[in-house]
Amino acid sequence: MSVSTAPGSATRRSSARAGAAPWSAARTLLAVVAHRLRVHRRAPLVWGGALGAMGALMAAIWPSIEDSMDELMRSYPQALKEAFNIATLDSVEAYIDAEMLSLIVPLAVAFLAVRIVAQAISSAEERGHLDTLLALPLLRSLLAAGAFAVSAVVVAATLAVMTLLTWIAGLAAGADPSLVVLARGTANVWPLSMFFAGLAVLAAGRLHRAASVTAVATGTLIAMYVLDLVGRVSAPMEPVRWASAFRYYGSAVRDGIDPLAFAGLTAAGVALGLLGAWLLERRDIA
Amino acid sequence: MPAVIETDELTKRYGRARGIEDVSMRVEAGEVFGFLGPNGAGKTTTIRTLLDLLHPTSGRARLFGLDSHDDRLAAHARLGNLPGDFAYDERLTGREILTFFAEVRGMDGLGRAGALAERFQADLDRPLGSLSRGNRQKIGLIQAAFHDPELLLLDEPTTGLDPLMQEEFLAFLGDERERGRTVFLSSHDLDEVERICDRVGIIRDGRLVAVEEVAEITHRAYRRVELEFAAPVDPEEFARIPGVRDLRADGTRLTFRASGDLDPVIKAAARHTVTDIELIHPTLEEVFLTYYAGGEPEADGSA
Repeated sequence: MSVSTAPGSATRRSSARAGAAPWSAARTLLAVVAHRLRVHRRAPLVWGGALGAMGALMAAIWPSIEDSMDELMRSYPQALKEAFNIATLDSVEAYIDAEMLSLIVPLAVAFLAVRIVAQAISSAEERGHLDTLLALPLLRSLLAAGAFAVSAVVVAATLAVMTLLTWIAGLAAGADPSLVVLARGTANVWPLSMFFAGLAVLAAGRLHRAASVTAVATGTLIAMYVLDLVGRVSAPMEPVRWASAFRYYGSAVRDGIDPLAFAGLTAAGVALGLLGAWLLERRDIA
Repeated sequence: MPAVIETDELTKRYGRARGIEDVSMRVEAGEVFGFLGPNGAGKTTTIRTLLDLLHPTSGRARLFGLDSHDDRLAAHARLGNLPGDFAYDERLTGREILTFFAEVRGMDGLGRAGALAERFQADLDRPLGSLSRGNRQKIGLIQAAFHDPELLLLDEPTTGLDPLMQEEFLAFLGDERERGRTVFLSSHDLDEVERICDRVGIIRDGRLVAVEEVAEITHRAYRRVELEFAAPVDPEEFARIPGVRDLRADGTRLTFRASGDLDPVIKAAARHTVTDIELIHPTLEEVFLTYYAGGEPEADGSA
């Protein structure tokens, strides 16, 4: 039915008022990032504190176990050492690398990155927040970019807190860890996390539920970890390691940061995020 | 001048499920437009499609003459929206939410948020999660209107508000109309729609079945007629009149529904000694229920 009768209202506007001047996309993105950072302001302390406490424990016990490391290394099966990328345990940094940076920290921090993205997009969608947010002059792609950027900042801050706590505890215990080497090791976790943050944006570009987005991204995280692990210990499976983000993670404590891998993982994360933002622009908000 | 809201055969389907079908309407500047329908009729789907939260299956929508998808940023800068169930991060206070929204809107301050908070007695400094539903709704109203938008899209806005605050809200809408603002009010509260709206659109099963001025729709529909005569009259005399239905005779009293031209009824009554006469226009609610009972109400013209 088509109806176009004139309204009965007595008051009429003769001209449209100019709308609020739209900010540039960069300023809007900055506002979104600042807003989400306020929401996640405690995350670096909570997550970095927890991981830092573990790192601090490792650093603190190092002086008391240092002398038994050669014997411990000899007791490890070769396959185990290859699986966890353990070459030597001759320093507190190498010990923390083997105990934390090879498994716990990358998985935990990547999960944090995924969670931040899922909360900003999918959880907000489930709770009806996007109905309010997207009625503002705000592009969905900026919302997605903001979520990705916030995860980048929060992950970096979390890793910094963890590094500092570990370093301070090591100093206090007399282990004398190198801040540069420790920071190198934890900084290497950042591009890996960004890859999975990008994957979470991609998932949120298609899926409406936060649980689904988290499941897809963390499921891929674990699957890639297992794929890399299997590829390390099984020669026939070694060629498929290229498909795992962990293949490009390595050990920055031992070998330094591989700039190509660092940039490649970050770029892959950004590319996945861009694809997710593109998809988000094109789908319905549930 | 383009209409503030214009839809052209706007259709949204969810797979095989119905959303809205061929909704075409115009809402002009300065108008308070009521959008009526029960839950599930398509009110919220229409608003969410206007806001580009849902992409139409076919048809198009324009806001201020701007395409609701291609030009949505420009359109959204000029409107305020209150979703049916306003929700936002419960850890944040109303002021924090408004500050963020103001930044996205490119505002220097919080506009008229303070004045609106005072008018609606809203507390902007408590976390949203600690507020009652009604007080959260007040924050929702303020975020929809604090930047003084040209168009207010309101989906069930008085949900959770106490009667006094509902009155204040209706007064606010009246003030907005006086200032030339346009309001699109989705509601199933017929009383508030009848009191504040200039026109109403009635949506049923996803289809817009009527758009009319409130006064017109209630006057043009049937009227209940009660006639009291000095002596009993033959009811057949009235039953033969076109538009007369549900006629009942009780001694000297006749009651019936009459739609269309009342002149034959008055002339028939004038042939007798009338001691009392009562004409009752139906409320919007009665008209609305008639639409939902099975089509348009009996009327004398096209809807």
